[in-house]
Order: sequence, then structure tokens, then C-alpha cells
Amino acid sequence: MKAGTKLGLVACFLAMGTAALWFYLTRQVSLPDDRTLFAIVLLAAAGLGVLAYIKGTGLVGGVPPAAAIVIGLFLPFTMSVSEQTVEADRVIAVGDRVPRFSARDAAGEIFDSDTLHGHLVLIKFFRAHW
Amino acid sequence: MQVLTVSTDSPEDIAAERHLHGLQARMLSDVELKVTDAFGLRNTGFHSAPLSHESVALPVPATLLVDPEGRVLWLDLSKDYQRRSDPGVVLAAMQAHFDTLEL
Repeated sequence: MKAGTKLGLVACFLAMGTAALWFYLTRQVSLPDDRTLFAIVLLAAAGLGVLAYIKGTGLVGGVPPAAAIVIGLFLPFTMSVSEQTVEADRVIAVGDRVPRFSARDAAGEIFDSDTLHGHLVLIKFFRAHW
Repeated sequence: MQVLTVSTDSPEDIAAERHLHGLQARMLSDVELKVTDAFGLRNTGFHSAPLSHESVALPVPATLLVDPEGRVLWLDLSKDYQRRSDPGVVLAAMQAHFDTLEL
């Protein structure tokens, strides 16, 4: 086994293990506010992946460090662009009346917000499935 | 009590994915962000959807409780899309606001 291959495997396990923990916590809605440690570990895994190539890997041995680099850079990138902003003068606030709206539901039928009158309502905005 | 969700998925995508939620909610499609904009919830920051996604922008993840007269009782906006409303926080808000209302 070439010197870089072992290192590449370590980098890959580190990146995938950290990513698995990340997605587990995401599903539990308990990803911490401060994700610095995640970023450090993931960037370290990407760095180890680069180091593996420097030390030299075979063709097959070159796959794990590639995975480590992709995962190790991608998740910190998503962290860096995850901040959400709205237009402060347009966003709805507590005490405001909910605007009237209509939209299609999963069956393609039109839903009208007038039907909500007289009910307690929980509205959840989320981005999309993908 | 009525539960609604609003997302930028097409009705077909929602129909295909809704079993994942186990929800009895009415899941609304807002591809053109009309509902999102009516609530002022369009994210004006980085648009981090996959390139294949057809919407030009995305809503900020948000949870609202609305009273029977249509006024917002409680609102939780995510300042960071990776941090959603904690279900415990939403439940606590429901208990705090809904239990005080007689219906």
C-alpha cells in the first residue's frame, strides 16, 4: 500500500464520520449554533486528503482522499453561506394580520387562506425538498 | 387546529415527498414565492438551492402561530437555514399561546 493511500483512508473516514454526525444532528434539529469544531475537523480531513496525494496514492487509493476533499470543503462552504436575511420593513411580525393568500396543494387544488378564519393555525415555511 | 406548510416545491414534488413527514398538514406549493413574499419571508441572502431547482429564491425557514382572527401570535425565523425551529420551542409556544385561548 502506497504511503498516501493509508492517509487518504484516514481522511475519508474522518470526513464521512463527521458528515454522518452532521446529518444525524440535522435530522434531530439539534445542529449546534456554533459549528466551528465541525468546520475545523472537516477542513483538517480535506487537508489530510491533499497530503495523501502529495505522499502519493495509487489509482484506486486516490478515490478516498478525493471524497475527503469534496466533503471536507463542501460542508464548511454551506456553513459560510447559511445566513438568512429578510427585508426588515417587509417581514411579518407578531400582532400583524396574516395576508390573504392562495396556493396549490399537493393534489393541485387551490387552497384559500380565508378557510383559516376561526381556527388556530400553525404555518411552517420551509425551503424545499431536495 | 390547522397545520399548513409552504415550500417552493411543485405540487408534484410535494405529493412525492409528503409521506416522509407523516404529516396531516396541508402542504402548499409556492414555486413563484407569492405566499413567501406576502409574508415578507424571502431570503435575500445567498441562494443555496441546487441549480436544478426552479425557484429564483427561497423562503427563510419560519414557523408562525396564528390566532382565529388571523393575527400572528408567535413567530420564529431562522437566522441560519441550518438551524431550524426546535420542535420543543414550537411546542412550548403552542402551549403558551394556544392554551390561553378558549375555543
